[in-house]
Amino acid sequence: MMELLHEWLVAPFDYGFMRRAAVAGLALSLAAPPMGVFLMLRGMSLIGDAMAHAILPGVALGFLLAGFSLPIMSLGGVLSGLLIAVLAGSVSQMTGHREDSAMASFFLISLAAGVMLVSLGGSSVDLTHVLFGSILAVNSTALLLIASISSVIVITLALIFRALVVECLDPLFLRGQGMQGSLVHGVFLGLVVLNLTAGFQTLGTLMAVGLMMLPATTARFWSKRLEGLITIAVLLAAFASLGGLLLSYHLSVPSGPAIILLAGVGYVLSALLGRHHSLRAKLQRHAIPLGAPESH
Amino acid sequence: MPFFVDVAFRYASPAVGRRAAGRALARRLLGGRLVGLMAEAQPSRLELHDLQLAQANRTVLEHVSGRFRDGAITALVGANGAGKSTLIQGIMGMLRPVKGEVRCTVPKERRAWLPQQLALDLTFPMSVEELVMTGSWPSHGALTGYCARHYRRGREVMARLGISHLAHRPLGELSGGQRQRALIGRTLMQEAELLLLDEPFANVDAETVEVLMTVLRDMAAEGATIIVVLHDMEQLARLAEEVVVLAGGHARWTTTQAIVQSHPSAIDSARFALGIPGVDA
Repeated sequence: MMELLHEWLVAPFDYGFMRRAAVAGLALSLAAPPMGVFLMLRGMSLIGDAMAHAILPGVALGFLLAGFSLPIMSLGGVLSGLLIAVLAGSVSQMTGHREDSAMASFFLISLAAGVMLVSLGGSSVDLTHVLFGSILAVNSTALLLIASISSVIVITLALIFRALVVECLDPLFLRGQGMQGSLVHGVFLGLVVLNLTAGFQTLGTLMAVGLMMLPATTARFWSKRLEGLITIAVLLAAFASLGGLLLSYHLSVPSGPAIILLAGVGYVLSALLGRHHSLRAKLQRHAIPLGAPESH
Repeated sequence: MPFFVDVAFRYASPAVGRRAAGRALARRLLGGRLVGLMAEAQPSRLELHDLQLAQANRTVLEHVSGRFRDGAITALVGANGAGKSTLIQGIMGMLRPVKGEVRCTVPKERRAWLPQQLALDLTFPMSVEELVMTGSWPSHGALTGYCARHYRRGREVMARLGISHLAHRPLGELSGGQRQRALIGRTLMQEAELLLLDEPFANVDAETVEVLMTVLRDMAAEGATIIVVLHDMEQLARLAEEVVVLAGGHARWTTTQAIVQSHPSAIDSARFALGIPGVDA
């Protein structure tokens, strides 16, 4: 029995590429879910998706200029992501339209531009790689980059945590204190872009959002407190990363989708069985009327 | 707590209201007479000088000049659209004056504003205690955590407002009155020296109104300048000492007594300002 468990759960990590993939996944699991929790609480769950598309042209341009060099591609991704965020923000301020409509327009433009750029320079294999990533091909340079970005995100988030909480809850209070709510918002969006850039190598630009949002939305079924939400989301993400890697190893399926699908299974199960707002909680609430006598 | 210990404690704590503590001491020693004289002699901490405020290029208020008395509760009254919210925005520095200026010596972190349409996101997972504690963070920075002293003050504040039993309740589960108590708790925590409230008693139960009035009076007695938008004549008579009437784009300073004597039928009707001496509507 122990041997079987060892063979299933531990032995795969004897390979260097699996170890690097695991570390990359865990680093991302530490940084991405808290961002997802804040995005969800601000009613911006889909903004992460939009930003993921926004980093694509930069990644593609980096790929065209420097070939498959992760630092250059990441730099391009961060720059184009920030550019799109700033553009969308200023267009919505200028026109008075809601930020999400500007964001939607820009992310569609950037998706098209990105795909066009990748096709100009490479084959369809490269395109697949950029869009869907390959966590099993993470080398030590990529690992260093991912770990550094994750650390920067966690530290910055700790610095702006309180301001961010107050900005979510009551932006007027923050403004009344003379703090720039838009600055906090901007730094936060910058972190989202950074996070997605770190994720694109392992999960691809499209699926990097999955590790950010799915654990966060799942956590909502289990906790009503901010600390609880973040802790549960981080644990879920770590579990999905390692579990997804093992699944991908044993079943020879692509790792990115395996990780996100595992997180997705967690979401569906939680929606059915979670403590709050789940199907089970709903049924249970109807079953016990208020002030009912104890059952015998 | 013995009175002098209280004064000493306030002097020791930074920026709290040294002025407030001094004033409390003076009031204690001189029976309040000197305090009035001091207020007359000193410029007040909130003054308006020939202020003109506009919303979307349309002038709402102009030639507004006057001073709000320190340590007093001033009611802000006027018909709908008379410019009450506009004036508050101007005072809080969220609306740039077209002309004139708002002269306010209260540091930003000691100004508190409780808007009428609550901009609070009540689905946000936060407890009453956590909300009250946010009142303390502007003064001690973004990095330092709360220490035992802050938590003790937070518990005192909640006890004073009668919401101790709700400390760990999420905001989303509160009633209107409980929510208003928690929000006032945040301004108490902030040790606000300037407090602006936009209809604080709307959608609030009678018991909460009593508690909040007591707390506001105490805050004023401790030296805070409080400005309250009110629509209810009875509440105005019980709470405010001074009244600013907004009508026809102008502001007039008057006293509660003058308002009460003129017996306006409805304080927020368009005809309200007509009967008050010194106000041309």
